[in-house]
Amino acid sequence: MATIRGESGSVQFETGSGSLATVVGTRSWSLTTTKETLDTSVHGNTFRQFVGSMISGSGTVELVYDPDATGQAAFVEDVIKANDSADASFELFTTGSSSGSDSLAFGGIITDMEITSTVGELVVVSCSFITSGTITSNLE
Amino acid sequence: MAAADLNTIRATIESRLVTELSKSPPIPVVFYNQAFQPTASSSWVQCLTSFGASEYLGHGLSANSRNLIVGLVVFNIFSAKGVGPAPNYVIGKRIRDLYNRVNVSGVFFDAPIGPQALAKPEAEGYFQTQVRVTFESIEEL
Repeated sequence: MATIRGESGSVQFETGSGSLATVVGTRSWSLTTTKETLDTSVHGNTFRQFVGSMISGSGTVELVYDPDATGQAAFVEDVIKANDSADASFELFTTGSSSGSDSLAFGGIITDMEITSTVGELVVVSCSFITSGTITSNLE
Repeated sequence: MAAADLNTIRATIESRLVTELSKSPPIPVVFYNQAFQPTASSSWVQCLTSFGASEYLGHGLSANSRNLIVGLVVFNIFSAKGVGPAPNYVIGKRIRDLYNRVNVSGVFFDAPIGPQALAKPEAEGYFQTQVRVTFESIEEL
């Protein structure tokens, strides 16, 4: 059995005009993947039956804010991109940062950005995103 | 990016105190693992710097990652016995003002605790108060 500690994860991002690179300073990420279902129950069925339909995802990335940290500015400011064509790419790693390994990769849009400054705490940024297009799972 | 040098952090903290207490009126300062023989009925300060448990600040293992280093500085302020607390608190104010919520070379000092009078002084024949300041520093790997 090989369990994985959260701190071994990482987030890579590119805003649509470059290549995926690690966003330094992330401290958590989450991705929820949802599959819609279609009801195919017909007359005579006693139990309801379904088939799978459209798949989508959404999630969050939280960062310890540092304006000088590599990749942070592009990530947190992507939310203010006008006419966003979902050209940003994400790869969320459970461990390491080798593309296509222990990760979930997808295109998406950052839909929310919240920056919080609280007395006695570090300034943190929380970004929410939705996926657009294929979600590639490399969670082998 | 490199692992934090705790000795540099310690030196940052202690040199600030040495500089302040060398000003008039100068007050002798003693640190961990130093022999010191105080003059009777004089004032002096003991500065003890300790590091506590570090915390993960973000993702990444030994690269592109950050830790929060935390620590505590304890200042034991000794002054003459039987003359009231004022001379001791004057020193306490100098120390408190020196670290109160300042950021020195990446070492963040929190609001100080004290000076608090100790019922049982650690050095016989002195009146003792204690100022404690927690601090934090971010290690970038």
